[in-house]
Amino acid sequence: MNGLRMTTRGALGLDPDELVACVSCGLCLPHCPTYRVTGLELASPRGRIAAMRVVDSGAAPLDAVFVRAMDECVQCRGCEAACPSGVPFGHLMESTRAAIAPRRPRLRRFVETLGYRGVLAHHRVLVAVSWLLLVAQRLRLVPRRYAATLPRLDMRRLALRLRVPAGGTPDVWLFTGCVMDAWMRETHIAAARVVRATGARPAVPGRGGDCCGALHVHAGRTDDARRLARRVIASMPGAAPVLVDSAGCGAALRDYGHLLGTPEAAAFAARVVDISSWLAQQPPLPLRPGGGRVVVQDPCHLRHVQRDHAGVRTVLGPAYELVETDDDALCCGAGGAYAALQPALANDVRARKVAALARTGASVVCSANPGCTIHLRAAGLEVRHPVELLADALEESPR
Amino acid sequence: MDLTATAAPIVDAVRAAAAVEPVGARTHAEVGNQVRSEHATTAVGVPAGIVRHDVADLTVTVLAGTPVAVLDAALAEHRQRVPLQPRDSTATIGGVLATGLSGPTRLGDGPLRDHLLEVRFVTGYGALVRGGGPTVKNVTGYDLPRLLVGSMGTLGVLVQVTLRCRPEPGVTEWWSTASPPGELFECLFRPAAILADSRQTLVCLAGDAADVAVGRAVLRDRIAVDGACLPDGPHRGRISVPPNELGALTAALDRIDGVDRDDGTWLAEWGVGTVHVAYADAQQLAAARGIAERHGGWLLREAGGEADPSGAPFDGFGAAWSGSGTANGELHTRIKRAFDPDGKLAPGRFG
Amino acid sequence: MCFPRDAREVQAAVRAAQHHGVPFVARGSGTGLAGGATPLDDALVIVMSQMDRILEIDPRSRTAWVEPGVLNLDLSRAAAPHGLHYAPDPSSQQACSIGGNVGTNAGGPHCLASGTTTAHVLAVDAVLADGTATRIGGARPDEPGYDLRGVYVGSEGTLGVTTGVLVRLLPDPPAVRTLLLDFTSIDDAATTVSGIIAEGILPAALEMMDAQITRAVEDFVGAGYPRDAEAVLLVELDGLPDGVTAQALAIDEIGRTHGARTVRVARDEAERELLWKGRKSAFGAIARIAPDYYLHDAVVPRTQLVGVLRRIYEIAAEQRLTMMNVFHAGDGNLHPLIVFDRREPGTWERVHHAGTEILEACIAAGGVLSGEHGIGVEKRDLMGRLFSPIDLDAQARLVEAFDPSGLANPRKVLPAGSRCGELAGTRPVPEGTWI
Repeated sequence: MNGLRMTTRGALGLDPDELVACVSCGLCLPHCPTYRVTGLELASPRGRIAAMRVVDSGAAPLDAVFVRAMDECVQCRGCEAACPSGVPFGHLMESTRAAIAPRRPRLRRFVETLGYRGVLAHHRVLVAVSWLLLVAQRLRLVPRRYAATLPRLDMRRLALRLRVPAGGTPDVWLFTGCVMDAWMRETHIAAARVVRATGARPAVPGRGGDCCGALHVHAGRTDDARRLARRVIASMPGAAPVLVDSAGCGAALRDYGHLLGTPEAAAFAARVVDISSWLAQQPPLPLRPGGGRVVVQDPCHLRHVQRDHAGVRTVLGPAYELVETDDDALCCGAGGAYAALQPALANDVRARKVAALARTGASVVCSANPGCTIHLRAAGLEVRHPVELLADALEESPR
Repeated sequence: MDLTATAAPIVDAVRAAAAVEPVGARTHAEVGNQVRSEHATTAVGVPAGIVRHDVADLTVTVLAGTPVAVLDAALAEHRQRVPLQPRDSTATIGGVLATGLSGPTRLGDGPLRDHLLEVRFVTGYGALVRGGGPTVKNVTGYDLPRLLVGSMGTLGVLVQVTLRCRPEPGVTEWWSTASPPGELFECLFRPAAILADSRQTLVCLAGDAADVAVGRAVLRDRIAVDGACLPDGPHRGRISVPPNELGALTAALDRIDGVDRDDGTWLAEWGVGTVHVAYADAQQLAAARGIAERHGGWLLREAGGEADPSGAPFDGFGAAWSGSGTANGELHTRIKRAFDPDGKLAPGRFG
Repeated sequence: MCFPRDAREVQAAVRAAQHHGVPFVARGSGTGLAGGATPLDDALVIVMSQMDRILEIDPRSRTAWVEPGVLNLDLSRAAAPHGLHYAPDPSSQQACSIGGNVGTNAGGPHCLASGTTTAHVLAVDAVLADGTATRIGGARPDEPGYDLRGVYVGSEGTLGVTTGVLVRLLPDPPAVRTLLLDFTSIDDAATTVSGIIAEGILPAALEMMDAQITRAVEDFVGAGYPRDAEAVLLVELDGLPDGVTAQALAIDEIGRTHGARTVRVARDEAERELLWKGRKSAFGAIARIAPDYYLHDAVVPRTQLVGVLRRIYEIAAEQRLTMMNVFHAGDGNLHPLIVFDRREPGTWERVHHAGTEILEACIAAGGVLSGEHGIGVEKRDLMGRLFSPIDLDAQARLVEAFDPSGLANPRKVLPAGSRCGELAGTRPVPEGTWI
């Protein structure tokens, strides 16, 4: 880009070159889940950028309308993949949320701090809270507003054990994360089985590798995210690939170079790979064909953010009849904590997705992200992780 | 000659007269309603001549009084055509455009209104106006050319028009076949025409020789023919219905009193929805109108018909005409008034 | 601003605007390039994005009834299971709405053979400026009376608000072939276009991109466009397989005769889609070169392409601006694109000056101001360069017939004063002014 560069930053502290890159062509509109269900310009990437511009320049106040417009964004970044001008919408939104965060009401900030710092960042606390939540669900003590968006936890899942060593010098690291390890441990168990079937020795991170910080970044809590990132990097030393079976975590880990801005972080980020992508590069697994029709629902953080959605098709192809939706891989509305924070919009977006999934005629949905899985399961769909489907199809007796 | 000078006598005539009938070859004089006025009606003719044929751009500019046959011959020298297909090719280009009658290969060629790019016309208030533009694609301002196609001379006297030409296809073949038209509409790719009467289907295939051969192979019991003959008779009309109604409508046309299925009284354009009808008896034309209206269509009188018992002439448009009181009728009236404030152009031709 | 969900709500909005004497403007997806949907004078904006249902697809008659907010590409997708598609395909087709397409008589690469929106719209349900709902046109091939439908399509919302559209769908062609011809000079590419048209070949699409735009697109899509070409032509042929093959051979020969360096044929659907993705992303991709662009839209007779293109590059050089060209060459529909950074002082003035000169050059070559984007506010004040006051007055009379109140999207398309300031029904043109 040539010409003058503005050096001063506005009220939101956004990068002027990033802001000016949008030419308002509107090609993002159909790829935005919230625009699709509302038809409102302010619920579209183009409208949100226009709002950022006027607030950043001081022409409009940072008021409740603006905050709501920013909060309503799922951060699926479908717009980014569709944008021919390469507007880095994700960064713009993260910066904007970071500017909004200090202005939130005190109570909300307190609860968030407790959640993001106290629970997500400490795995044992998260597990304990999960047991409490399970009990609360059984006693019907969960407020109706959240009841539909939270997964119904079950005791058997929470009690599952993942028999993989922690730390050491493995062939590959298996990053387990926070919520997923607490609520969907069966996915990690399947992942470990499949990794071992290739002959590689996996290990889970050592101390401090509890949480990738993705939800913190989305919430604009950049400092918290940086602290977590440094801990995660330290928990998986060496040069072994870092396999991730959660698309949201994978996207966050791969962005550590940008988040921390250090060569060390960039080198770590380069080791991170989606587990399906890694498997696609290994010698083919011994799989039984005829596993039935499966519709692949790409998580936004895999397709739009990591742009790495071919692997899952390569590895599942030999065992399953894979079908695709006809909706341009539009977001399902899960968006990390979005489904809990914006339940009404999240449900509208999901309804559109459920209809697209139903049109394919497949009874099983395959998704590589815990947020999407929880969100779609809450609509009554059978959702499996690719590694679970692979583990089912492995030509060996299950252990 | 400068167009302003060419148009000067027309402008003068329009300004001087109380009622004006734009006149070409009078081949389409009976289409719709007749001009009728309490004032003496001045017939205004338009000069003929090809102004410019831009061969490489595939456009041609002609004076509206040019006979279609003259244009066809000039274009044929360059293997080009403009699909104006009047029954009688002595008809003038202005006359064909003003009545808006598309030809029988409308399925392949598109409607008449899509061939006109630019118009110069004299309004009822005596101004020589230009509308549209000479290029093949244009959204510069309001589409006056389309407004004038089919306006029956009531909005202006067409003086000069620019038309889009099409390259003459490599091969053009007409076939009579036993294959039903609905089936052919489904399986032929871009046929130039699928016409049917009560005895046969007539198909026009045009394009690359190998492609035409592919289409030909589908036609059962085919016999080569020269072209399609529109039904002829003293009482003629043109029915316009939603294309899905063609089957039911044509079956009903065969049941009109005194009509023999072998008379060839109707010819339907499949995929278009136009049915050409011609009868020996005016009552039969009236019956055809009734059938058309029952199937969601309407009948345009092209010739003949007769006065009903009350003495009123055969209506050119029938019940489909949106008269006063309807939104479209009001629009019509206001548009007419806008271009012809004194109501002097082809009075009575509509409604 | 209001977001109606059906025709009744549109009608209520228009009536409310009339009641209060407030102008109103309908808006679709906001992808228009001439400002036709830009509200002026604090107009009520009627946003059609929530009226986005496809009401009916009838494969037998090959038609579909849709609401105006339906996105162009969504319609083609919905028609695809029937082997049908909606032909007009603006570059913004994934985002633009059918209602907006009707307003601007939108085009697109594939309108060369099949015509722009007006050739594909059979009927429009509209709320007229006085709040009356009416159906213009119909499923029948002809309607008695004036072609109101023809006038309405392309009227940029100044004659009413669209609430429903009956469109024609076309059968998918059995064979499609896409060719990429590359040239070492713009003139050669332009003469090839004229050569193809003069040969009597009417491709489904015939697009041209110059060197700079080709490189920008290649950076974005990586479709394999030659980075060192001065111009490329993207030609698409469709129809039955043998005819397509014959035409491809003919175009190969015409291209080589006029100096084409290579002629590449897309091997499969994936390669074809990639080539088209490059073409359709062109306008967005230029943001990689500079933050702002000004895209023009003009049409010239196809025989004039070479000379007009030369003049356009001269104008750019005179104004020290970066100029690119990516356009529907087969229709002679130019899209000169000026890229700039508005933060540089004095740039705006030079950009506007160049734009006006380009349009004047097109008019001098026998061209018109817009082929598919419309006039809107952008070119409204240039209308007088193409049309005489008498011509403009006639157009203004037509608008007045539809909207005597003047509240439907006012001050668009026609420049102020077009109507000669007189009432309908009187004799507005003084004696002799026609001369």
